[in-house]
Amino acid sequence: MTMTPTTTRGQALTRRQTLAAGIAGAGLLAGLSPVRAQANEIVIGGSIPLTGVFAFAGVGINDGIADYVKIVNEAGGIQGRKVRYIPEDTGYKVDQSVAVFNKITGSNPVSFYYSDSTGFAKTINPELNRKNSMIMAGASFASELNNPKAYPNQFVAGPDYSEMIGVLLEYIAKTQPGARLALVNSDTEFGRDPVAATEAMAAKLKLPIAVKIVTPPTSVDVSTEVLKLRRANPDFTLFHGYILAPLPEFMSQAKQLGLKTKFMGTFWSMDNSIWARVGEPADGFMGVMPYRYYYDEAPDAPMLQKIRAMRPEYQSTAYMQGFLTAMLFCESAKRALAAGQELTAPNLKAALNTLKDFDTGGIIGVPITLSGNTIPVGRVYRYDAAAKRMIGEGDWIRLGKDAG
Amino acid sequence: MRIGALKTSYAADHALFDTPVQRAWLGLGAALLLAFPFVADDYWLYLACLVAIHVIATTGLNILTGFTGLVSLGHAAFMGVGAYTAALMEIRLGAPFLLNLLGGGLMAAGVGVLVGLPSLRVKGLYLAIATIAASFILHFVFQNWSTVTGGIAGLSVPPARILGIELARPAALYWVILPLAGLSVLAAANLFRTRIGRAFIAIRDRDISAEILGIPLLRYKLMSFGLSAFYAGLAGGLFAYFFRSITPESFPLVYSIFFLAAVIVGGMGTILGGILGAAFMTMVPEVLKLGVGLASPWLPNAVAILSPVRTVVFGLLIIGFLIFEPHGLAEIWRRIRRFFHLWPFRT
Amino acid sequence: MEGFDPLFFAEVTLAGLGSGALLALTGLAFVLIYKATRVVNLAIGEMLMVGAYLFFAFAAGLGLPAWGAIPLALAGGGLLGAAIERAIIRPMLGESPIAIFMVTIGLGSVLVGLVEIVWSPNPTQLPDFIGAAPVFLGEAYVSRKIAVGFAVACLVIAGFLLAFRTWRGGVALRATAADQAAAYSCGIDVPAVFCAAWALAGVAAAAAGILVGAVGGISPTMGVFGLSALVVVIVGGLDSVAGALVGGLVVGLLEAWSGTFLGGEYKIVATFSLLLAVLVVRPYGLFGTAEIERL
Repeated sequence: MTMTPTTTRGQALTRRQTLAAGIAGAGLLAGLSPVRAQANEIVIGGSIPLTGVFAFAGVGINDGIADYVKIVNEAGGIQGRKVRYIPEDTGYKVDQSVAVFNKITGSNPVSFYYSDSTGFAKTINPELNRKNSMIMAGASFASELNNPKAYPNQFVAGPDYSEMIGVLLEYIAKTQPGARLALVNSDTEFGRDPVAATEAMAAKLKLPIAVKIVTPPTSVDVSTEVLKLRRANPDFTLFHGYILAPLPEFMSQAKQLGLKTKFMGTFWSMDNSIWARVGEPADGFMGVMPYRYYYDEAPDAPMLQKIRAMRPEYQSTAYMQGFLTAMLFCESAKRALAAGQELTAPNLKAALNTLKDFDTGGIIGVPITLSGNTIPVGRVYRYDAAAKRMIGEGDWIRLGKDAG
Repeated sequence: MRIGALKTSYAADHALFDTPVQRAWLGLGAALLLAFPFVADDYWLYLACLVAIHVIATTGLNILTGFTGLVSLGHAAFMGVGAYTAALMEIRLGAPFLLNLLGGGLMAAGVGVLVGLPSLRVKGLYLAIATIAASFILHFVFQNWSTVTGGIAGLSVPPARILGIELARPAALYWVILPLAGLSVLAAANLFRTRIGRAFIAIRDRDISAEILGIPLLRYKLMSFGLSAFYAGLAGGLFAYFFRSITPESFPLVYSIFFLAAVIVGGMGTILGGILGAAFMTMVPEVLKLGVGLASPWLPNAVAILSPVRTVVFGLLIIGFLIFEPHGLAEIWRRIRRFFHLWPFRT
Repeated sequence: MEGFDPLFFAEVTLAGLGSGALLALTGLAFVLIYKATRVVNLAIGEMLMVGAYLFFAFAAGLGLPAWGAIPLALAGGGLLGAAIERAIIRPMLGESPIAIFMVTIGLGSVLVGLVEIVWSPNPTQLPDFIGAAPVFLGEAYVSRKIAVGFAVACLVIAGFLLAFRTWRGGVALRATAADQAAAYSCGIDVPAVFCAAWALAGVAAAAAGILVGAVGGISPTMGVFGLSALVVVIVGGLDSVAGALVGGLVVGLLEAWSGTFLGGEYKIVATFSLLLAVLVVRPYGLFGTAEIERL
């Protein structure tokens, strides 16, 4: 080991002391534990992706859940019991998300949990079944979760990805029978999720698939994909597995080429504020939304009025998703407690399954019923660049009820 | 204060743990680790298991990068190979848990040797990128060889079993993961007291000189790749049983970067560095989160506001460490030891 | 695919060349830094992202027209590069290359966090400054943004190549790359060259960021684009400016062809297989300097 030159030692020591102090400080923090819930509270835990690739949604989800919990508590809680929401950031990473789960459920009597990803939902499922004390919903609409046998303690606060595409296909079959489709999916778990189901449903509805395009998650330029699209010349192009990019570029290039295809997306690419920033090229973009938009002034939507009173500025679709998830959590607790049951996973899930034509206060435009693990409803919206808003097209579509 | 170390035999001079004080501390540490599951809650046990898995993988990468001087960014993919192999052996063959771990390690080692083949011609950053290429190709295989790997949805792994006892929870797996981590680290430490390990070090210090000294470069470089990947595969097998669900997206490139960061922050080419680095990289995000949690009584919605700040602090910590302590955490540890050895002569 | 259509093939090829040019520009930023300072900068994607956000701030936030916002964003990118060199890279001089490599990863994390704090994590679009009227080469269609990107990237790289031949600073940079000590004893201010190289790389990264952002939109995670550029510089040779251009175009073409004729999921595998093939045949890339080792 060589000696440090004496001339620099003094300075080096102070740097090291700073570093040591920093480490000591961090250690001190580690010794203290976070705030715990008080007895008798109903706890909603949450692995929320506040940083990382899904952060844009996590922020909205977090606000949505927090706001609904606030509304419930201001109204006196559930059967006099307060609801407490304990979120923590996961960075959209499964290992961190599991750590957060262990931390929150280890020190609180958690009855409900919000999951941030499909990966986490699958990873934690055995543990949920073992604990049998809480039910979980989250940001994942993966078709795989719509299986009450394999995922008895989970549900999806909306349609799963296949059902979203199903809503779109029903809309297409109704407005333009026999239309030719193009499927554009990102090469991720999220993007590939509904492909097989889409093909089956399209075949059933007699909608031929002209081309299937897969884009790698890092791709920026879509010129070659647009060229493929031009060759196939579909009537409708269905995107899934994207938030925003590369949809606007797809659409503006298709417009340059004079393609007449209509573009459609699924829930996570339907936020109004994101499309508002795209401006003109966004005009005519359609997609499926399971929830109403923040600005919807339908008379049967008192909950949206309440949200607008609480938050005067626009709230994202992710906010609505979090808000509705919290509402379903609280509703199932209310029903279980009203029946004099303990808050265990089977009781909560059974309570949730008693929801028949439940009124969400207008968050969803029709009364909902939980079938399987999902709520298979949705409505097609179309973006109007002049009004800077997503505008509803046709009626709400309930899968398996109104049509085949 | 230590006056001097009296060594009467060559073996004593060679020993891994050379002073009684050191052995006493090690004993105390082992006792604490044994007692840990009885006092810790699920959260801390989970983290302990995760750290232990990361220690195995980081030690593996340290053999390759720290001791042999070959940079690899395919470590997470090797872990993936191990995880998929172990999971498939469990699901398809119903083979016993420990055998599956071994199988995962061996399969990963085989793939590692293959990936190491360019290392004779390609050096430095070019090699690092070649391993990135290998990891993307492996990712492609995981994703598209659907009949075997379950495609994009991946595989669900049944709980581990030993002698009919089901090890499904961190608290139970702790008793497998921790001893395996200890064994792996001990094996790695011993490796560098053998001809093979010293050949690795010779290659790191100057590969051409090493060849002239009679070390067949290709064989030893491949051996290093294979060993390193074996560790990754073992960690991957544990990962599969620990998380019970593996998908192609479980082993992204950033995970490889995570391990490289752990090796460098811990201290390249020291066994202790691998342990400290893995613990540091795993725990810092958690500790930062606790810090955010502490702010929540004063700052409503602190979790949402401070989370991006955490990303910044994490980056700054890595930068700060490397600027002020380029030899890593192991060097800090050595300095602390030296302080006590030399006390009170040098204060 | 129903038969071979030459026009379609020509269009795909042009699109590939266009997106290859964006890769080349990012690769250029990488090469500049590596050539002068031997630092492998993994934060290049994040520098690119910051450049795009600076343009966004000037153009959308302050409402400046494109001719005002672009130079400001480029200057901002240059300043960022210089600041990084002075604050983070200079203190690491003489440390092992892997340690410096790791520092740039930490830097990437810092930049992403800062952008999330300042501009929120939402993805968004850059204001349009290129226009939308399509370009036709003969009958073949080329997206206007891609055509503009191609022209800009080629001009910038040609400019750099010229500067390295004729401009005093460029020659100083080449001298430093060849032999730091010799360059220093010839009176070249080597630390200043380091700083200048980072600043120029910052400018190139910002330019690439504005173009990439114009095509694909911006978000704090758009830095992953830098990873593709890594392939480009390895194929072309880490220290060759011309290599960045050729490598970029080759990778762009390969992505376009494999994406069209095999399917999008083959794009990444195809590029990385090319990379491995190149490394086996030419371990220092197509145009890189082979390091001759002596004992």
